[in-house]
Amino acid sequence: MAPPNQLGKRVKLTQVRRPFIVGSTALPFSETNPRPAGVPDNHTHSWQVFVKGVEDTDITYWLRRVQFKLHESIPNYLTYRALVVDGEPGKPFVVNETGWGEFDIAIKLYYVNDSGEKPQTLYHYLRLHPYGRTEEEKQAMIMENGEIRSWSYEEQLFNEPFDVFYRILTSGAVPRGWKGAPPASGGKGKGGKGKNKAPPPLPAPDGGDVWERTAMIPNSNRPGQPFSRETEAAEVKKLRDAQTTTEEWAQKILQELKGKEDLLAKLKAENAAAAAAPKPS
Amino acid sequence: MSSSDVRDVLNLSEGASGTRPNKKQRLAAPRPNLKGLAREVHNLGGDNPIAIVPEVTQFKKRRFANRKPASRWEMRSFRNSARNDSTLILKHWRRIEEKQENQGSPAEELKEENGTQEGQAPAQDEMEDSSFAKFNAQVSVPQYSDDQYAQTLTSETWTKDETDYLLDLAKAFDLRWPLIWDRYEWTPPATNGEANENGDESKAIVPLPDTQARTMEDLKARYYEVAAKMMAVQKPVQYMTQPEFALHELMAHFNPEQEKMRKNFALNAFTRSREEAREEESLLLEIKRILARSERFNEERRELYSRLDYPHAETDISSFKSSAGLQTLLGTLMNASSKKRKTLPGPEGASPSNPGPPQAPVQDSGRRESTGPSTGNREPPATGTPTVANKKGQSQTQQPPAERPKLTEKEEAIYGVTHHDRLGSGPTFRTEKINKLFSHKSNQQQLRINNTLNELDVPSKLAMPTSATTLQYEQLLGAVNSLLEARKVSDKLDGEIKIELAKKAEREKANAPPDSENSKAQEDASKENVEKGAVTTAPEAEAASKPDSPDSDDVEEDDAAKNTKATGAQKEEEEDEEEIGVESKAARPGSSGAAQKRSASVLSTASDKSSKRQKK
Repeated sequence: MAPPNQLGKRVKLTQVRRPFIVGSTALPFSETNPRPAGVPDNHTHSWQVFVKGVEDTDITYWLRRVQFKLHESIPNYLTYRALVVDGEPGKPFVVNETGWGEFDIAIKLYYVNDSGEKPQTLYHYLRLHPYGRTEEEKQAMIMENGEIRSWSYEEQLFNEPFDVFYRILTSGAVPRGWKGAPPASGGKGKGGKGKNKAPPPLPAPDGGDVWERTAMIPNSNRPGQPFSRETEAAEVKKLRDAQTTTEEWAQKILQELKGKEDLLAKLKAENAAAAAAPKPS
Repeated sequence: MSSSDVRDVLNLSEGASGTRPNKKQRLAAPRPNLKGLAREVHNLGGDNPIAIVPEVTQFKKRRFANRKPASRWEMRSFRNSARNDSTLILKHWRRIEEKQENQGSPAEELKEENGTQEGQAPAQDEMEDSSFAKFNAQVSVPQYSDDQYAQTLTSETWTKDETDYLLDLAKAFDLRWPLIWDRYEWTPPATNGEANENGDESKAIVPLPDTQARTMEDLKARYYEVAAKMMAVQKPVQYMTQPEFALHELMAHFNPEQEKMRKNFALNAFTRSREEAREEESLLLEIKRILARSERFNEERRELYSRLDYPHAETDISSFKSSAGLQTLLGTLMNASSKKRKTLPGPEGASPSNPGPPQAPVQDSGRRESTGPSTGNREPPATGTPTVANKKGQSQTQQPPAERPKLTEKEEAIYGVTHHDRLGSGPTFRTEKINKLFSHKSNQQQLRINNTLNELDVPSKLAMPTSATTLQYEQLLGAVNSLLEARKVSDKLDGEIKIELAKKAEREKANAPPDSENSKAQEDASKENVEKGAVTTAPEAEAASKPDSPDSDDVEEDDAAKNTKATGAQKEEEEDEEEIGVESKAARPGSSGAAQKRSASVLSTASDKSSKRQKK
């Protein structure tokens, strides 16, 4: 970890988030997906596990390297791909493999050196077979081409980032595919020349566009892009419904509780009275 | 020791031993007497005569003689071409060639040969050279003309004559330097130019110390110098072949001093004593150890330095090196820190679209803090005025320092920047918060929550963990928790109601005989017992995953019933032995004892619970 004095102080009580997608896509071997040469016979699927930005945006400006730790039975299981952070349109961090079993993949994220942060680990369960609570859900899992996707939306939260990293995270937003001045330069154009090259003004945060180097997410789902405000809203609604249901249940129980308490008090009094009554006699 | 002695020791009969001497005498008589041996030596053999093999003196067998006639030799004269005196003729014996032998009878031949040899002698002498002449390899000594010497070889310490003399010696002794040095007796020609006896005398006296001073290294140095220079003269350096050039380099760089030192060192090493050798060895070891340690030490020191190394200032710090400079720096720092405390956030809404480096927020440019230590060595006086300006009507904290670009709400939304009241620093994932909500619960609680979530058809993992969904999820979990609490209380009440009902039933049953005497104390005690029993059943009911399932209820009921029955039985027994004596005898020792044991085991947990209930 770089000494903090080069990175400035931590920006107190501030949190910067970056959404990304971690997931796996598995495809069983078939005519359309022939088994590559040299793959053992007991392997049934080809699969890939990846870490990428929402809408395939570049994440290499905060993520330097990803280490995928696969199952120990897979030879050479410690693989990583170090990406050079040179402002190229971000390519996802991907590992392609073949295999027959499902297991937990430990994914270690190494942040860019300017972040001064230690690497963090998250886990992803590799799915080769459809999963779900019901058969319908399982059937719905299978994509048209037979792929099994297990994708998760995740948000990276940088709590109190160092000053330098904070600047990196909060500057250089450009539309995707923008070919203007490299965002890394970050210089605020003082001369006319700089202004000419400056990126267009920022869009509305909920406009649905996704720009590079931002925390924006799209408004609606598209094929292959299941994570959006739409999904979020649906999730919130579902959760709220569930909460309402729970509260109703709780209410009901509480009402019953009142009756029960009354009953219990009555019984107790009755018993006590019965116990007390014979004594004087 | 004779056999008689043995017999004596073993106490054998005398008779046998008595015969012994006779036998011995008989045996001894025929013993052959070998001549030439002392009697004592004979006796050494004891009964058995010494086997003596007489040595047969034999001479070597005559070698089978060669029948051939002895080869002939002759005295032949020869000449040695390696020698300087060509007139010297020596003789040596040589075997006569076989060819000549075959020509005739040996006797005739001998004569004839002598004759021919006489005649051929001159020719043969011409022909025959010593077989050792070929070993007379001549050393090639550099040659030079007077002009060449004058051009290149002149030296302050060497005259031409002496150089000539040296080269002659070198040639004569085939560059065997010890010999050359040994024989080196240079007597320079008379300085006065006279060749008379006086001159001779002066020669003898004056130059002697000079020649003495010439060491072997001096000679060598001079010779190599001459040789190298002549080599270069004959063939310029750039045209030399590789070995020639190597030789030239070697000779041109001959260092007599080093050579001297080397010899001295060798001499010292040769003459040192055993103790000195031992001491040297130990010193060498010591120095090796010291070197190794110093290497490690250096390594550590370098590491320490790199650790202690302060980050180099990017800007020129020479202005701060004087004490006055330090004073101004201190002032600047004080100003900067006081300013930081009083910074205001920039006006919202008009901030730059692309917030850049610290110096340049557009809105702030008017009141911008012009300096901090990190922004370089600005002119210290410049900081004064902005500080004053800042002091006016600005009292805001908790905002990023002025150098940091301020973000509008829109930008914060876009870049995902949020502010919180409490934050631990470092990167985390959104899902961690939810995971923590779970992991803080016990396994059983987690199980129950998951069951409830399943009932609600909510997956335990969020599809999209954003701040909104996480918040919602937390609320949901809170609701679930309160639901679970409510269920727990309700279950407990259910249990108690059942106990009371059972008690009531028991009482009614017991009250069937009208004249039962129930002392209040006993009633209370039994009630206490019952309650404790109920409490013990409560955890069991909790352990069952579904509290409202009929199974657990049944169990509870059974337990409660048993307890009440037992205590009831105990109570009744005291009152009315006749009525249920037989039954109670069977029931008391087992069930009531068990109930008491259980109540004791849960006493600690039960006591607070029961007190709680009493409050209700």
